[in-house]
Amino acid sequence: MAKKEVGKDTRPGWKRIGLGILAVVLFILSVEVMKSGAGGLTPLLRDHLTVDNAIDSLGFGWLMAYGILSGSPVAAVALALLSSGGLTSAQTFTMITGSRLGASFVVLGLGFIYVLRGHERKTALTTGVLSFLVTVPIQLLTVPVGLTLLRLEWAGTIKWTWLVGFSTTVNSVTDPLTTLLKSYLPEWILFVLGVGMISLSFRWFDQALPDFELKGTGLTQIPRLVYRPTIMFLLGMVATTLTLSVSISLGLLVPLSTRGYIRRENLIPYILGANITTMIDTLVAGILLGDPHAMTIVVAHMIGAVIVSLPIVILFYRAYERIISRLQIWITQRKRNFAIFLGALFFIPIVLLLT
Amino acid sequence: MKLLFCTDGSDWTQEAASPACLLASLTADAVDVLIVGSPGESAEAIQKTIAPPFEALREQGISIDFIWREGKLKTQAVKEAKARSYDMLAIGSRGRRGLRRLLLGSVAAYVIRHASISTLILKGQPCAFKRFLICSAVGPTSEKTIHFAGRLARSMGASVTLIHVMSQIPLTDEAEMSHLTAEAQDLIENRSREGLHLSRMLDLLAEEGTKARAIVRHGLVIDEIIDEAQEEAFDLLVLGAHTTPGLRSRLIDDLAEQALLQANMPVLVVR
Repeated sequence: MAKKEVGKDTRPGWKRIGLGILAVVLFILSVEVMKSGAGGLTPLLRDHLTVDNAIDSLGFGWLMAYGILSGSPVAAVALALLSSGGLTSAQTFTMITGSRLGASFVVLGLGFIYVLRGHERKTALTTGVLSFLVTVPIQLLTVPVGLTLLRLEWAGTIKWTWLVGFSTTVNSVTDPLTTLLKSYLPEWILFVLGVGMISLSFRWFDQALPDFELKGTGLTQIPRLVYRPTIMFLLGMVATTLTLSVSISLGLLVPLSTRGYIRRENLIPYILGANITTMIDTLVAGILLGDPHAMTIVVAHMIGAVIVSLPIVILFYRAYERIISRLQIWITQRKRNFAIFLGALFFIPIVLLLT
Repeated sequence: MKLLFCTDGSDWTQEAASPACLLASLTADAVDVLIVGSPGESAEAIQKTIAPPFEALREQGISIDFIWREGKLKTQAVKEAKARSYDMLAIGSRGRRGLRRLLLGSVAAYVIRHASISTLILKGQPCAFKRFLICSAVGPTSEKTIHFAGRLARSMGASVTLIHVMSQIPLTDEAEMSHLTAEAQDLIENRSREGLHLSRMLDLLAEEGTKARAIVRHGLVIDEIIDEAQEEAFDLLVLGAHTTPGLRSRLIDDLAEQALLQANMPVLVVR
């Protein structure tokens, strides 16, 4: 009898395809359900959570991503709230940024669970800490760049005319269900239901993806182990575009890691690249919403991330790598340092939300 | 050993003449001095300034030839190294950094990239070439580097330290972190992948008649190499050349070029 490989998903191909189709259908429905219920959340955001400005929404998106252990649904929520008038453009932009910051905590959170289960601290936490340290400065620098882009005239010149037709077609299919739900459920419950549905759709999509490996790309055969930062940057972008998930695209590197091939030098530009194309699913959510404004914000976010990341990769990469690497070593060196780091991860978004 | 020394008469290439002659006096049977000038420039004038230390070598019985070429130093050096059978090319380094290097390029970096033979870039303070630091990467090119550097160290009576940098990031639950933080001796005793490699490299050095010690550092590869070289004041940094052919060479980073940029001592790139 053939041995089942530990940790390997042996789901047959047809089941994966079926799950993938279900995930896409659920994703479309969830965006529409969230859109229908988003209006009911506006008083909660304004009166109770006091999400009044772009800093509040940054903290809100950040904490919400912690809460549902994923960034993509939160980014889609931000767009739905924009469409319903619950958030301004700037608030939507920073909530999306917050969602990315919160999402990078998920990789760290998984590592933390391994530590609690008795694994060696450094081994379990290194990748998560590195992922977080690379993501935070890039995303925070993207905020002023992206908001400036939104204020520039080019944002208004993009018409996205095809969106309306696409959205109308989708709406004609989903409207009967959303109308039915609307007649029985209050708006805020509808919104919570939408968040639950979109989270589930991302989970199904992750499960539907085949086990990618970098074998056959030739990369594993290269005898020298330090790949060019630009190559790893592009690889991170492509892998995350194909898988729509940073955690899966990071997982692609596992075969290289087991052979001792993945170094800090490789991982940092890879995460930088992944940070840009991780917005692809949010772009799809924007298309489904049929809101040109939402699309412009997502595109500005992606361009902002490229503007911030490219000079780092091309001009200042060594200095950046050195700073990130030293910080990572400091954080994972002692329990006290890690506790300070972990405290900051909760303290900062709470302070942002309360300001 | 036959050495090719390259100069265009500029101060920074002439400064490299003394250390090149010191190395040649201990290791070489013959030295060719390639003098590159512009059309109309006097070869004799440049030769007159560059010749004295090489004439002293001739008195030691080492064959010295002066070759005159017109053109650019970097291209003529690479061309000459390819045209005849030399064991090593030696050249100085102007030490351009930052924007000037980006805009104007580097002669030494070009020679490292394009030369078909081992290249010694002479930079930093004059030294006695008595302490070598050899960088080891787990791969087939390492053996060539070890043989060449080992022979050179033996003929110069130099001590050798073999360095390996562990910079891996464990992405798997099963990763053994202890290997990523272990000392060289522990890796060798545990017979880990890196330990076996270091052990083999030490054996190769012993075969070349050179006694060496192995060390392991942890962190970013180039930073750790440079830190070790500067903290312990080594006289020569030895690395293997970027030898991956074709398209794959576009995918990998050239450590030798980065080392050349950051090191403040002579750098030998073995090919």
